[in-house]
Amino acid sequence: MRFEERRIDDVLVAKVLESRISADVAAPFKQALVDYIINGNRRLVLDLSDVTFIDSSGLGALIGSLKAIGEDGELALCGARETVANMFKLTRMNKVFRMFSTPDDAVAACSR
Amino acid sequence: MKILLVDDDLIARKVASAMLQHQGHEVVEACDGECAWRVIQESDISFVVSDWVMPGLAGVDLCRRIRAAGLSRYVYVILCTSRGEKSDLIEGMDAGADDFLVKPVSADELRVKVRAGERVLRLQQGLADKNQELARINTQLHSSHKRIEDDLKAAAWMQQNLLPLPSLAANGFRCSWRFEPSGYVAGDTFNFFPMDEHAVGFYLLDVSGHGVPAAMLSVTLSMVLTPEVTRGSPLKRSNPQSELPELLSPDAVIRELNRRFQSKDDRYFTMLYGLIDTRSSTLRLAQAGHPGPVLIGRDGRIEILGAGGMPVGLWQEIEFDCIETQVHPGDRLLLYSDGVTECLDQHGEAFGEARLLNYLASRSSERMDELLGGLLEELGSWRNRAASEDDISLLAIEVAEEKN
Repeated sequence: MRFEERRIDDVLVAKVLESRISADVAAPFKQALVDYIINGNRRLVLDLSDVTFIDSSGLGALIGSLKAIGEDGELALCGARETVANMFKLTRMNKVFRMFSTPDDAVAACSR
Repeated sequence: MKILLVDDDLIARKVASAMLQHQGHEVVEACDGECAWRVIQESDISFVVSDWVMPGLAGVDLCRRIRAAGLSRYVYVILCTSRGEKSDLIEGMDAGADDFLVKPVSADELRVKVRAGERVLRLQQGLADKNQELARINTQLHSSHKRIEDDLKAAAWMQQNLLPLPSLAANGFRCSWRFEPSGYVAGDTFNFFPMDEHAVGFYLLDVSGHGVPAAMLSVTLSMVLTPEVTRGSPLKRSNPQSELPELLSPDAVIRELNRRFQSKDDRYFTMLYGLIDTRSSTLRLAQAGHPGPVLIGRDGRIEILGAGGMPVGLWQEIEFDCIETQVHPGDRLLLYSDGVTECLDQHGEAFGEARLLNYLASRSSERMDELLGGLLEELGSWRNRAASEDDISLLAIEVAEEKN
């Protein structure tokens, strides 16, 4: 599970470089996010613009990461494509994660 | 090492024998090719130093015979020739000889060539031992794999038996279904049952992830989701005042399941749970993160019900809602799991909701059971007969044309 990382102020923008977040990569995906959190990143923006598909395991991993970042942290999403956005709408994940079009929008909203 | 020394010349043989014994080897002598062949057959000797030109079976022919015999052990062969011609070398190697000595043979030459041969034999033996070990492990793996497969088949059968009887009819409704787990056992399950004389209930759920862990939760849920009051069912409870059983509304059912099945490991499930009251022809439906069911009207009208909802098991304090709509005789409701819409073709394109709706619209006059069978066929050819990556579940409920 590869990411492209950028730091803007105190926000870490991690772009997912895989097109599918499915069962076979869900565990390393979650581990990578948890590692970011353990290393002290409290404001995380996940760029999903390359992701065309997330399955139930992938969603579970995302939610697990959200729980891990805790009340004082923020895990925001940006760049969700149509299939992913539809899935988030169906499962009301768009009420749970703050979702933005671009990384800049997300960073602006998350920065303190 | 035991070496078979073959030479029809007595003196040459004795000289070579002495050299080899001096070098620490045990020597077995043969005076011609046939004699040598008998020794090879009757013993486990794996090293042969043989003269080329001999009456009867020549050294090179003995070598050919050894190679052709397909012995269970490897026999290292050094041929001795007095001529030393390149053509001899080639013919000898072609016949399967491992090395060459040119007569008269010096002790040192013999020593180093025999040692090289010993090295080859050791490597050979090492390989043979490893192969034996591999074969043993393979047999073990095979039998443990078979045991696991047998267990999975038994579990699959158990799961199948939790599904409704094919084409069950109750209270003026008929259901048909199809179930195609992607593995032996599935994270999908569904059911349809009369709740009391005036209502039927049904659900279709999909546990996140795959394999045995998802299937175990799926089976647990299907045992919990029973219309019988006595077994702690979340669907019905006894009214404290009247002591009569009452049906919990679909959103209350999901709320109760959410309370009971909070996940400890990111696992959750999506679910549709519905109740149809036969007196009022009202359908009430709760949608917990699951694709909405398709309502196929008697007039061919196709509509997807529901606007989404959160899956079950993620957070304790979640609100779930319930939608309500009228159903009419001849209406059909199709519940499906996302294995249908997410079915990929060989180019990675998903079957999708639009294709599903088109299919249903084009076949809306067919009998429900045929429609389901046809849909599975459609999905199979979409996948180009490749195996599906996700469970496929279809549950169709038909409102009978004539009410009882």
